[in-house]
Amino acid sequence: MNVFLTLLLFISSFVANAQRNELPSVVLKDIDGKALNIKDLSKEEKPIIINFWATWCGPCLKELSAINDVYDEWQKETGVKLIAVSIDDAKSVKRVKPLVNGKGWDYQVLLDSNHELKRAMNVVNPPFTVVVYKGEIIYKHTGYTQGVEKELYKKVKAAVSK
Amino acid sequence: MAVGIFLCFTNAYSQIRVGLENNSQLYADDKKIKLDPVEVEKGRFRSNSYLKVDYDYKNWSFGTQLESYAPNPILNYNPEFSSFDIGTIYARYNNYQKGLDITAGHFYDQFGSGLLFRAWEDRQLGVNNAVFGLNAKYTIGTWGKATVLGGKQRTGMGFDLSKSVLFGADFSVSIDELLDWESHTLNTGFSYLGRKIDDNKDNEGLNNFNSNYAVRADYAVGGFYLGAEYVNKGEDYVSQSGFLIPYAQQKGNALLINSGYFEEGMSIDINLRRIENIQNASEREFVGNEYLTGVLNYVPALTKQYDHSLQNIYVYQAQGSINWLEERSGEIGGQFDFYYEFPKESTLGGTYGTNLAVNGSYWAALKTEMNYDTEQLESKYLNFGEKYYRDFGIEVRKKWSKNWSSIFMYLDQYYNMAAIEGKFEDVNAQILSAETTYQFLENKSVRLEAQHLWADRDKKNWVGGTLEFAYNTNWTLFASDMYNYGNDDKEKRIHYYNAGASFTKGTTRVSASYGRQRGGLLCVGGVCRYVPESAGFSLSLTTNF
Repeated sequence: MNVFLTLLLFISSFVANAQRNELPSVVLKDIDGKALNIKDLSKEEKPIIINFWATWCGPCLKELSAINDVYDEWQKETGVKLIAVSIDDAKSVKRVKPLVNGKGWDYQVLLDSNHELKRAMNVVNPPFTVVVYKGEIIYKHTGYTQGVEKELYKKVKAAVSK
Repeated sequence: MAVGIFLCFTNAYSQIRVGLENNSQLYADDKKIKLDPVEVEKGRFRSNSYLKVDYDYKNWSFGTQLESYAPNPILNYNPEFSSFDIGTIYARYNNYQKGLDITAGHFYDQFGSGLLFRAWEDRQLGVNNAVFGLNAKYTIGTWGKATVLGGKQRTGMGFDLSKSVLFGADFSVSIDELLDWESHTLNTGFSYLGRKIDDNKDNEGLNNFNSNYAVRADYAVGGFYLGAEYVNKGEDYVSQSGFLIPYAQQKGNALLINSGYFEEGMSIDINLRRIENIQNASEREFVGNEYLTGVLNYVPALTKQYDHSLQNIYVYQAQGSINWLEERSGEIGGQFDFYYEFPKESTLGGTYGTNLAVNGSYWAALKTEMNYDTEQLESKYLNFGEKYYRDFGIEVRKKWSKNWSSIFMYLDQYYNMAAIEGKFEDVNAQILSAETTYQFLENKSVRLEAQHLWADRDKKNWVGGTLEFAYNTNWTLFASDMYNYGNDDKEKRIHYYNAGASFTKGTTRVSASYGRQRGGLLCVGGVCRYVPESAGFSLSLTTNF
């Protein structure tokens, strides 16, 4: 079994470098009940940040709060849009709207309560951040510690300036 | 699949997505905690691995999740999970322009809030109740969506399937999209789930077809919203501890109401729920089993998920099944959440703002009585029976300066251990916890957490703390302890300490730790699994590309 696993990993990693990295086609609803197909984000001209979070995830709340403080600047400079995908189950999904409004975040918030997008993008532990530019995934990162949002923004700026 | 991989080299319309996760444990005895001899026989090294590969080509997707539990799965996972096998496998045609989405193979889905039907995966809990069959979805304009599904549920490894067949349908309509409303939204839905249990000698002569349905509606205008969901579970025979009671037939139902109001910087939310015999499984005998095998719907405890370890000692589990012997049918109650952001520059807000969150919940049994004439348990609709759980919490988050922030929390709990866990006492607990994070030198931070629990019974008082140091964006070190110093039994005054490190780069994360794990309920998303006390090394790896 281990041989099979290693072989599979070898082939997969080889292939990963030779292929496109696009968004999957998953339809999610936002906190107002409007449906959005993630694949449609590929058509956007401006950079998109997709951030997986949950109301019970401490580091996620820290990351989104940290980005909220500089979001205006980021938007003026690059036009970047952050889409916050909540992976709260039906247990805590009702907490998403009050929490987002209580904190005054300007992000578009999507609800992934049966984890469809989470599985499609192989996210295991939130927070998980993806930067998409002109339909291609250019950066992915798991976890949050202070300063990670600066690294994130560097990638966004680099993509826009090309 | 190998063919698919090689196709990728040449084809421009395709891509492969791979996700790998491994969680391993090496159980090592120490002075206070020793591994059960039965488990020692099986081996001290345990490992759960998941390799998920998806291949996309134009409108088609093919994928599989390979799972390995060799040599043995982590303690207290479903014993059906063994060695190496396919966990899930599927083929999918998804044409967004035409509105068609069809999956053949293993699929996950959820109707409404999941009280009627939910197929999902949670690796920490050991839940994977994907359905193996066919799932077809059709989107109508911008306002409607219809789903039809059928198949057999996974109850062990990928092809260990339930001895029953499921049929489901869901139709949802967005009335505001249909009628072009501007300022308010109304979403409605109707779902059906039918289950046909395979006939066998044990259930010969019984009605083996069971129908369940649900209706839901959600309305919102401006900052106000109101939603409700009603589920009706058709009459079915009761199962107690895995055994069928052939003379006991009961119906089930659930009502969930959610409402709230928000404006900038303030919001309030209320959830009310009444459930009666709502827990459903693909085979009757699966209801209530400890490994969560065969669950068909999602009945979470509607309480707040708390961050600190001592706040998770007394965790409420939803009481959604019938207990025939104790004459219990369900639960009724609610929870509320209030969020308030003190504006910056105000007295209480300070320069950087202060955030307040208040929450509470109250859960009780239904008022149930056995009707000896009809041989059924009858429950009054709105009456509250024995109190099961109550909590009230206040959390304040404050940012003192650009680099320094703190969180303070007070939590008061009442936990009816006798009714919920079958133990002897009920417990009143108060937990005070504080956490502070200080950031310095561009990318370093230190987090210190301290907590104390006062309890009048059971294990009594605990004290706990955590210290976490992020050296840079890649490395983090941590050490934590929970000490049950107040336990009446001196032998049980144990330190549950843990120390470890994690390395993160891009999408890869590796973490290793050594220490002790407290025995008790491990709850994820309101669904709980019992984990035994253990000690040893843990290693976890996740990556994707």
